[in-house]
Amino acid sequence: MSKTYKAVNWNTPENDYVLMFWEQNIRQFWIDTEYIPSKDIDSWKRISPEMKDAYKKALGGLTLLDTLQSHTGMPKIIDHIDTLQNKAVLSYMCMMEAIHAKSYSTIFTTVSTTAEINDIFEWVQQNKYLQYKAQMIDGYYRAIDKEDASDEEIYMAMAASVLLESFLFYSGFFLPLWLCGQGEMVASADIIKKIIADESIHGVFVGLMAQDQFKKLKNQDQVKARFLALLYNLYENELKYTEEIYTEVGLTAEVKEYVRYNANKALMNLGFDPIFEVKQVNPIVLNGLNTETTQHDFFSKKSTNYEKATEIVHLKDDDFKMDVLVDI
Amino acid sequence: MVANEVAKNWILLNNEIMIKHDDEFSLHKDKEAVRAYFLEYVNKNTVFFYTLKEKIDYLIENNYYIDFYQWFTFEEIEEVFNYVYAKKFRFESFMAAFKFFQSYALRDDSGEKFLERYEDRVVAVSLFLAREEGVKKAIEYAEIMINQEYQPATPTFLNAGKKRSGELVSCFLDEIGDNLNGIGYAVDSAMKLSSIGGGVSFNISKIRARGEAIKGVEGRAGGVLPIMKIMEDTFSYANQLGQRPGAGAVYLNIFHSDIEEFLDCKKINVDEKVRIKSLSIGIIVPDKFMELAEKDEPCYLIYPHTVMQEYGQFLDEMDMDKMYDELITNPNVKKKKINARHLLVKIAQTQKESGYPYIFFKENTNRVHALNEIGQVKFSNLCTEIMQVSQVSDIEIYGKQDTIRYGISCNLGSLNIATVMDNKRIKETVKTAMRALTVVTDVTNIDMVPSIAKANRELHSVGLGAMNLHGYLAKSFIMYESNEALDFANTFFMMMNYYSLEASMEIAKERGKTFVGFEKSAYADGTYFNNYVNRDYLPKTAKVQELFEGIHVPTVEDWLELKAKIKEHGIYHAYRLAIAPNQSTSYIMNATASVMPIVDIIEVREYGDSTTYYPMPYLTNDNYFYFKSAYDMDQFKVLKLISVIQRHIDQGVSTILHTNSKDSTRDLSRYYIYAHKLGLKSLYYTRTRKSTIDECVSCSA
Repeated sequence: MSKTYKAVNWNTPENDYVLMFWEQNIRQFWIDTEYIPSKDIDSWKRISPEMKDAYKKALGGLTLLDTLQSHTGMPKIIDHIDTLQNKAVLSYMCMMEAIHAKSYSTIFTTVSTTAEINDIFEWVQQNKYLQYKAQMIDGYYRAIDKEDASDEEIYMAMAASVLLESFLFYSGFFLPLWLCGQGEMVASADIIKKIIADESIHGVFVGLMAQDQFKKLKNQDQVKARFLALLYNLYENELKYTEEIYTEVGLTAEVKEYVRYNANKALMNLGFDPIFEVKQVNPIVLNGLNTETTQHDFFSKKSTNYEKATEIVHLKDDDFKMDVLVDI
Repeated sequence: MVANEVAKNWILLNNEIMIKHDDEFSLHKDKEAVRAYFLEYVNKNTVFFYTLKEKIDYLIENNYYIDFYQWFTFEEIEEVFNYVYAKKFRFESFMAAFKFFQSYALRDDSGEKFLERYEDRVVAVSLFLAREEGVKKAIEYAEIMINQEYQPATPTFLNAGKKRSGELVSCFLDEIGDNLNGIGYAVDSAMKLSSIGGGVSFNISKIRARGEAIKGVEGRAGGVLPIMKIMEDTFSYANQLGQRPGAGAVYLNIFHSDIEEFLDCKKINVDEKVRIKSLSIGIIVPDKFMELAEKDEPCYLIYPHTVMQEYGQFLDEMDMDKMYDELITNPNVKKKKINARHLLVKIAQTQKESGYPYIFFKENTNRVHALNEIGQVKFSNLCTEIMQVSQVSDIEIYGKQDTIRYGISCNLGSLNIATVMDNKRIKETVKTAMRALTVVTDVTNIDMVPSIAKANRELHSVGLGAMNLHGYLAKSFIMYESNEALDFANTFFMMMNYYSLEASMEIAKERGKTFVGFEKSAYADGTYFNNYVNRDYLPKTAKVQELFEGIHVPTVEDWLELKAKIKEHGIYHAYRLAIAPNQSTSYIMNATASVMPIVDIIEVREYGDSTTYYPMPYLTNDNYFYFKSAYDMDQFKVLKLISVIQRHIDQGVSTILHTNSKDSTRDLSRYYIYAHKLGLKSLYYTRTRKSTIDECVSCSA
């Protein structure tokens, strides 16, 4: 008996959140070349060599994570999702991850020489902490690269994906946000902010699916313990990665605080309570993370506020009938 | 420790405002940020002088200031300084201080040390403005500025008194002729005007459309897009010494057959060759278009060159109410059919995705334009508040005489509604402000762009605006969307109109000179005053009557008297009032911007080089309720208030629509329809508040 193929039917929503995520994703669509990082060339010349080095490494690390997510993470998870509409949302997200991965290059290409860029990509391949986190996450993705993956394996792959989207990215996001708050590399930060806005919905969406998946598990306590072991493992690695990038510029302590803050966020996306103690995250970075609308100066920068118009409604005769009396 | 060299304590403190304790923002952190900014940065980086004399001499000898001694003795200069410093000015917010020192204060040539404080800038501007009038006038100018009753626009406030500086004028506009000489003149003007610091706007409606004939050969013209591309690059190249990015806008008539392509240029996923990133765009909308949309009749876009060949007249200078039917029935005029309602939706869609285009309602503007006998208003500027007559110049080849006609230039300044009301000095401030603006037109001569220079020389246009409307209403416990707000605006802006006319008449009388063409204007034949001599504009509600207590509000008798005096002496300025969006300057003034509602109780302000948190002026726990966000307001009510203000403003009012990302294109289109029916002259940006997934999840949960 051959397999029956089903077509995705959007006429009936398969759950109460998928359409909302689809629409929000569409609304947030952007591409790297709308932004104008060349405005940052003066700023780039101004910041110190140590800061440049940290910046390039942070972006290099982010490129690797987005590559992993678009080439492996999302496609593997899609294979094991039952609902076709959720698959559609994931494949859209997958495409955005590819745009993210490219957009770091847009920044690099604008401010750095080809030799410097090659050095960074070389560094990405050499850095053991970065490679370690990629390898750990990738392991969970590869584990479901088969038809009969167990519920636990699928859950762990989703949880790993949430850790990547909601937690592991942020040591890299810290520096562009921090510099932007100080008035440096502001145009490039627009790109970073668009990525953050995307990653935040990706983390929430995959987190919701992971929570559904978790409910299917019979050995929930054991799986949770295994998940937490993974989290701690990645956390220890993240501290070392942070030291390597940020010690020379003197931001290590603040980035670590930020890493813990985001680890808690990842936990919450998966429906768990926060476990890390967080005192005060640098407010500049925290405010920079706020993806809500800001008041921008149209003449000196591009806005990150505008979104694809999805609410197209045509006009009827009644729309022209209105009371225009001003009684004063 | 590299981060320490970049990290700034005052920025951290300013960011800490946003940390909430017991549901309240940490507003006190803003004062700490101001203090830290002065102690740790400004004071350390300010050049110290032992005496005032030493300072003034140094600044003049080292080419920072113009030689004020040509007009004033040291004792006179000292008198102005003493007057200003005795006022003990303090910045009310970190944003105000930061914006002033970052963007306005004079620095040494290394760019590292400050040579001025706020008081010094006020004195330098005052001395500059009063140089022909003496020290008494200098103190009058200084008084309205240090009291924060009047704020000159950025180009004036930034440049006045400096030896090496840009121009004092804010705004330039010009037409582009439909030939290479005309286009070349426009590109050349754009570069020069952009480099001296003004915002520049062009009307590109006269350019033949894509696919039209060149020298009789069909299909050769490239349309408006390639010209926009050149303009965009021109503006980004020619900035003001790297200090301010160049900024420009282009306007296209909605009946121009390139209009769809024009709107699409802001789409993010179009080809690089036709994508416009930083140039602002506006559309010119005649009544006829809105009528076709309302009646849902077929709408034809028209190829302008075929109109020129058939009628010897530019499409965008025709009265479409009269000519539209003729044009669409004439087989020699090429056109294409579209649906007007669909085009409105497309405009809404473009606005939702980019904030653009600006909308200029042509007939609403010209119906109340006092200079129609001289010419019509055809388009607007970068901020949609300048509306003046313009005519395209004929630019010839080398050796032949050009025919130069009116471009547009305008220098701006704004009243602070809250301080002039509290000090009960509307009359004094408006009159002194008009004098200050007049000096700027007197000293300005943009001779490198002759069409602009001609307009300034003959029309002396200025644009007095106002800021802090929402701030003042909130502090007076009046809701922005209320009837009292309409009542207040109706009286306040009538008074601005009255006293600016009176000032203009007095200047004309003193100098024995009016603007060129006064005798043909509605001021001369008296029709302009019909609205004022047939009804009064006294406050109607008790609350607003209370606010105007102790202030004389001009009556119908006063208006009749003014009308007679203007008939006798004329007025000096062809245009007087324009409500600019004033952003940077409103921060310095501790004011809410322009006449627009606030966006948030703590505004997050992004510039190309900074992000700053700005708590609204006068905000306390008592009046919190009155600081309602524009995004939560009924935009119809906002537009209604603007229509009341617009009655009294001879040019325009920059009007921003605040929408939420859930608002449909229909909602936006209905705002345009309403604005048009109310008689508004223009709409500026549409800003959109994004929805976040947090609120989506919480409302679906």
